[in-house]
Parts: sequence; C-alpha cells; structure tokens
Amino acid sequence: MENTKELLLIHTSMKRVSHAYPDGVNIMLTPQFYTMKREEIPVKYTYQAKRIAPSLFDGMLENTQGYQYFVFKEKVSWVFIAYHPEEIKSFLKQKGMLPEQVSKIYFAQQIAEAFTHPVLLGERDALVNLDGTITVVPQAALNSDEKPMKITQQLTPKKGIAFEGRGKSILSTKESYLLAAILVLFAAVYFIEGSRYGGDSAAIEAQMQALLENYPSLESSYTRKSIASKYQAIDTKERKKRDVIKALSHMIFKGSKLHSLSVDDTKFKARFSCANASVTQRLQELAKKEKFHANRISKSNDLQIEGRL
Amino acid sequence: MMKLKAYKNELIVGFAFLLLVMAFAYKQIQVSHQHNASSTAATTLEELKNLIALKKIWGDKKITQKVERLKSIVSPSKAKWHRKGKKLTASFQGLNAQEFNRVMIKIMNLPVEIQKLEASNAGVLYQVEFKCKW
Repeated sequence: MENTKELLLIHTSMKRVSHAYPDGVNIMLTPQFYTMKREEIPVKYTYQAKRIAPSLFDGMLENTQGYQYFVFKEKVSWVFIAYHPEEIKSFLKQKGMLPEQVSKIYFAQQIAEAFTHPVLLGERDALVNLDGTITVVPQAALNSDEKPMKITQQLTPKKGIAFEGRGKSILSTKESYLLAAILVLFAAVYFIEGSRYGGDSAAIEAQMQALLENYPSLESSYTRKSIASKYQAIDTKERKKRDVIKALSHMIFKGSKLHSLSVDDTKFKARFSCANASVTQRLQELAKKEKFHANRISKSNDLQIEGRL
Repeated sequence: MMKLKAYKNELIVGFAFLLLVMAFAYKQIQVSHQHNASSTAATTLEELKNLIALKKIWGDKKITQKVERLKSIVSPSKAKWHRKGKKLTASFQGLNAQEFNRVMIKIMNLPVEIQKLEASNAGVLYQVEFKCKW
C-alpha cells in the first residue's frame, strides 16, 4: 500500500514545526540522530542480525543504555543503525512535535541510492551520499554548480519503525503483545469450552428418541397430556383404594377378625370383631396411625373403621 | 485519531480483554443453555417413562384375560360371573379363609377400576361382591 503521509526530514538545524499533522506524519532521520555501521556477516535473517546489533556498537556509543537498533540488508552487507528514541523524542518536542504525531520513523541511509544530489539542511549543512553512506557535510564543501534535491513523500522507504507506546503509553509494545496473547489464549480456551457444551444431553435425547420410536403416538405433547390426565387420575385413585385395603389387612391379627368390608369410589368402611378390649384398643391405635376414623360399636368390642378416598 | 494511536498498546490489550470477556460470556451462556436443555430433556424423559408405565398398566390390552383368570381361582360353584365388555360384576360365596385371601390378592393386583368391593364374614366363610371396569 502506498504511504500517503508526509515525509519530514529531521535534522538539528530544522525550523520549529508549525503544522499540526492531525493524521500523523512520517519522519526521516539524518545521521545526526543515529550511528551507522555496515558489516558483512554470515546471517540470513534480519532478526538474527538484530540480535547481534548491540555487540557491534560496543565502544562506539558512550552509553548503550536506551539505544535501539534497526537493521536492513544492503546488497551483500547488513546495515546496523543504533538510535536513541528518547533523545529523538526530546528533540521533536523542542521542535514542537509530539511523539504521538509520528507514524513511522525512517533513516536517511535507507534511501542512500536516491541521494543523487545533496539535500540542504538549513543554511550551513547538507546531506550527501559519500560512497554509499549518507553523511552530513558543510554546504561549503559542495560544488557550487550542484543542484540540491528535496526529500519527498515518494522517497518513503518500505520498512520503518515506530516509537514504542508513542510516548504516553504505560505498556511497551512487547508487554502489550504478550498480555494480549495471553488474554486471547484464554479467550480461545473459553470459546472451545463453550462450543463443546451441547453434546452432553445427546444421551438423553437418544433415549427419548428410542422411546418415541416404540410409542409413536406419544410424540405429540397433546396426546401425552391427554393420556397422562386420563391414566394419572385412575392410577392415583386406584392406588389409594389398594393402599387402604392393604392397611386394613394389616389390622387382621390374633384376636382381630374382619367382619365386613366395603369399598367404593369415594369411601371405605370395615368392621372388625375383636376378642377383647385390649385388641380393640390396639386396633384403634393402628387406625389412628393410618389416619382412619375408628368408632367402637356400643356394647361390644367390635370396631368400625371408615374413611374417604 | 492521534490520541487513539498514542494508546495503541492499551487498545490492543483492551481489545484482547474484550475478546476474553466475550468468550467467557459465550461459555457461560452455553453452559446455562446446556443446563436448561439437559434439565428439560431429563424432565420430559421422566414424564415419558412415567406415561409409558401408566399406559402399560392401565391401558394393557390383556386386562380382560387377566380378569377372566379371577373366575378360575375358586371353584365355579362359588362364583357368579357377569362380564359385559369391559365391565364386570362378580360375586364369590362360601369362601374359606384361604380362598378369600386368594380372591382379595388377585383383585388387588388386577389393573382395573374398582367400583365396588364388599366382603363379609359369617362364621368361617366369606362372601365377596366385586364390581369393576377397565
């Protein structure tokens, strides 16, 4: 994709920036803001070259603390660039630019081949290509007939860097990517777990399906309701009748004899002949336990037990 | 736009966090749906089993045959039998205690609607009157 942002050349003698750049701006740094080294080393990938970059600048930089490195390949050799983001940010602030306004940072060395003519830096210095290395020289050293060129948007290199966190961020890019990766991993676990729910009821469904295949008439919920209301009422009523008869049969023991029994749809009545008063008493207790009404028949030990169904 | 770019890292983490929250919510919804679906399915299955059991008992097509067997457990002279379709009126007379027990147990185990059951004892013999439908 073509870079549509303005490319601003940053040099020490530049004027204060008055433009606001609401959509951001790309900047190109002159060698005043970086230290460059060109090496022919047997590495294949940029990340490998970047790993050894700090050791290449040992002794070259006053203090390696805070430096970052940019590496790119130039024909057979690797170009290593050491830059200090904080110093650059500080300079930009002095010139009225906020670090967050900067979209991408490029280095003049990246477009060394485009330097067919010198680029004037203010009134005293100029940027020239000396044997493939972009260098700041006094304008006095230039040939008087040499026409200067300008750095334009069309010269924007493909690869650039960005300020980490663009100044205000509390997280570094590395930290934020790591944290985001962990969160996304957990999110993926939850998604997978969530999608796995749903198969547990399959066994119940299969069992139900098998039952419905055997009883196709029960597939309709209306039919089920109608059958349930019909049989449930019968079942409840008939079970109660049988439970009552069973309870009454437990009241037959030595000294207690069933004299008569009558059961219909709504009530039951049983008369027991008891051998003596203690048997009557025991029978009364048993009837009470079953919540039946028990009445002693006058002038005898017989007991009448009755109730409603 | 510039301000958003200034907080790009926080936005990345924020977006990932949002994704996590959405995934968690998705999982919870799925768990809840699963629970409800399982519970509903289990209840329906239980109802269905219950219904089938009820139908097997009270809707059995062999009830008539089962009822007919009641007649044969006592000697024919002791039983008066009147069955019309799915309604029965029967009376058993002169039953000894053993026969009385057998008749009562059989009646209790028949899947019929007892409309009337009367039993009386005179000395050592019992008499049973039974009316039912199915």
